[in-house]
Amino acid sequence: MSLNSEISESMSFNEQQLAEYVINATREVFSTMVMMDLGDDFPLKDPITHFKCSITGMVGFAGTYSGVISIHCPVNLAKKITCAMLGMEEEEVEDGGEDLNDAIGEIANMLGGSVKMILSKGGLDVKLSIPTVIAGEDYTVNSLSDIDCVVIPFSAENDRFLVGLTLKKEE
Amino acid sequence: MANILIVDDSSTMRKIISRSLRQAGLPVDDIVEAGDGIEGMNALQTSGKQIDLILSDINMPNMDGLEFVKAARAGGFEMPIVMITTEGGEDIIAEAIASGAKDSIKKPFTPEQLNEKLGGLL
Repeated sequence: MSLNSEISESMSFNEQQLAEYVINATREVFSTMVMMDLGDDFPLKDPITHFKCSITGMVGFAGTYSGVISIHCPVNLAKKITCAMLGMEEEEVEDGGEDLNDAIGEIANMLGGSVKMILSKGGLDVKLSIPTVIAGEDYTVNSLSDIDCVVIPFSAENDRFLVGLTLKKEE
Repeated sequence: MANILIVDDSSTMRKIISRSLRQAGLPVDDIVEAGDGIEGMNALQTSGKQIDLILSDINMPNMDGLEFVKAARAGGFEMPIVMITTEGGEDIIAEAIASGAKDSIKKPFTPEQLNEKLGGLL
């Protein structure tokens, strides 16, 4: 889990600065759209790819940079996030329901938009994908290639979630 | 009081925008929702309501926000269109404005930011 020198040089961000940017972007999304204060515990000591009773929202980048930004969240915390975003009661949010999936996908989308701002000032040479959401009782998320990544653990509501960013500079 | 069309593929975001418009104290009467540009065009052509303002996402499936702005203007719809989007890049926003959008608001946003940007349009 590190950022190589090629990415650092092209973005003018070292790993710590990129992590701080993602931390601030995540805090901004949560403070304005979820009304939730976050703690962070960067750096993550060991990689986490295996999730239980969780939901993962992902948005891809394609163009001069490729990669994925993702949020991995326990379902119970995801329900609290959904309730806060939509003004719903927890019992109204169904496991695997549209509201839960859409809320986590939209958080990934907003984080993707924030990261895109540092990858592409004009915005036309990097495209964002439509959000993808997966959820399950026991699943693993792996990148097929060994590309650079930053993963940040956050704490909220006595629970933890991860925001991960993988990036590759295209030729 | 204004009728507003919200075009966004995220139902969560449509609900948040609707709630934020009312929290911002803007003079909102009816809100019509569409999940992409095609549904947005259908709403303009068939809702039977006079739409006073359109708020549109950019990154959407089927017909994205830039195509939607062009289609709306080509169809003769002249109400203000404001892009509400995660896409804050200068060139994308310039393309939206050149296509006929009035302004843009970056997600995430606060009700106060909505009020500041939209207050003069309603």
